[in-house]
Amino acid sequence: MIDRISGIALNTFRESVRDKVLVTLIIFAVVVMGSSRVIQPLALGEEAKIIKDIGLSAITLFCVLISILVGGRIVYREVERRTIYIMLAKPVRRWEFILGKYLGLMAVLVVSLVVMTAAFYLILLVLGVGAPLYLLLAVLMTLFELAILTAVAVLFSSFSTPITGAVFTFAVYFVGHMSRDLKLLAAISPSPVVKAVSYFSYYVLPNLANFNIRPEVVYGVPLGPSALLLPGLYALVYAATVLLISAAIFNRREF
Amino acid sequence: MASLPEPVISVIRLSKVYHSGFRMKRIRALDDISLEVEKGEIFGFLGPNGAGKTTLIKILMGLTEPTSGTAQVFGRPPRDAKAKARLGFLPESPYFYDHLTAREFLVLAARLSAVTKSETAGRVTGLLRLLRMENAADIQMRGFSRGMLQRVGIAQALVADPELVVLDEPMGGLDPIGRKEFRDVIVDLRDRGKTVFFSTHILSDVEMICDRVGIVIEGRMVEVGRLSEILTGDVESIEVTVRGVTGKTQKILERVSQHSLRSGDELLLTVKGEEEVDRIMAISREVGGIRVVGIVPHRRTLEDFFMAHVAKAGRSRD
Repeated sequence: MIDRISGIALNTFRESVRDKVLVTLIIFAVVVMGSSRVIQPLALGEEAKIIKDIGLSAITLFCVLISILVGGRIVYREVERRTIYIMLAKPVRRWEFILGKYLGLMAVLVVSLVVMTAAFYLILLVLGVGAPLYLLLAVLMTLFELAILTAVAVLFSSFSTPITGAVFTFAVYFVGHMSRDLKLLAAISPSPVVKAVSYFSYYVLPNLANFNIRPEVVYGVPLGPSALLLPGLYALVYAATVLLISAAIFNRREF
Repeated sequence: MASLPEPVISVIRLSKVYHSGFRMKRIRALDDISLEVEKGEIFGFLGPNGAGKTTLIKILMGLTEPTSGTAQVFGRPPRDAKAKARLGFLPESPYFYDHLTAREFLVLAARLSAVTKSETAGRVTGLLRLLRMENAADIQMRGFSRGMLQRVGIAQALVADPELVVLDEPMGGLDPIGRKEFRDVIVDLRDRGKTVFFSTHILSDVEMICDRVGIVIEGRMVEVGRLSEILTGDVESIEVTVRGVTGKTQKILERVSQHSLRSGDELLLTVKGEEEVDRIMAISREVGGIRVVGIVPHRRTLEDFFMAHVAKAGRSRD
């Protein structure tokens, strides 16, 4: 079982890292981080913080794009190209296939994060604005967030087209960052429909704003261990649940 | 009491209905199909394009579910991993991963089929050599031709040395040399005691290598059996070639034949049976200057059989 899942994951990883999309996105991210130097004159003495904030935001943004763009077609492509016929005719269970695809994509994201973060630290050192290691906490939180988002992308990919899947995954990402506003909206709205939809979205969609600790690390606000542990646990449980649903949907599919 | 050996593939009264399009139009892809494939035989599943061949194979591979009836592989439901561990499958016009090399893909296929790590490298290299792909083994597959992809396809199906090999249109898109190689591979599998189930619309492939065939037309199985039973071997007509024919002798000979064709002093006569051949021989002895130079019996071919069924299906539809 482990052998089959890791085989599919390795295959997914190889396919993705050799694809132009990934390399292009990583290069773009590094370019954006490097260009933060350009806006330095506007920053009036806050340049170190702005460069760090732009760098960390770029890492998150581009990894989210990789997750949505690569993840959105990860299962669909196998169906479209009928490689799924070959994979599922092997003694592979369908849930193993879904989990393997997910883990392969997560491996791609970990490597992307490492490459982008290394470039980010290099830029900080070159610019001489200081490169404290606690900035890595924000990157770790991005990884947790990606664990959820990628599971959502795989879920949509397991039954819809890449474009629909990408749009829905992006919608989940977008709404997931407005969780607090949703709860507030649900509390103050007089319309029962708006209330119901807001509450539903608040409880069902992931609360992704919790994973943004960029302001804290950039401004050096101290963080306790629970600030990392709880989101980590939340990401694990949420991603596992979404993957279970994906596997259940995929299990019923006919090709 | 000795029990009969369990069939490798068993399909009982299988039907599949698809709903397609906006109005959910019902399309009956398979209609009450039954068949059994025994261990060690090459079974040809024959039918025109769109007859339902791929649908049945997809059901046997656990990719889709039948609407009614049952399908079993090695006595198990098709989606059972234990059944799938004993078979290899090559889909129609296979496509693989653009950015993987043939070797990487075959290693993955071996890993998914629980081939041990120590055995994998040897198996993969052996198959690459058998299919004459050693030179292309380590380049990414995106530039591969149709024939090359087909070779990778058969290699991945054979990598776990399965007892049953299922091939969907394996000869499609191959040149004559490639088809010959594929036929050799299939016959070699049978010689090693494997069971082969393959679909095709190319009659000559079936006539050359199959032990038994099933003929499917518009989702219905019109015939299952040994080729020798389907094509009873009866002589349908005999062609007799006579040399030294003149206008006068031609008239005499044509009275015996159903059909004739004159070319120079040679006359080709098509007759019903041996009795007519005897009469032509007698005429040739009586009339001087003519000689029978050839007698060729014509047996019913699979093509005749197939065309007759397709025509019948067309008529019953009208």
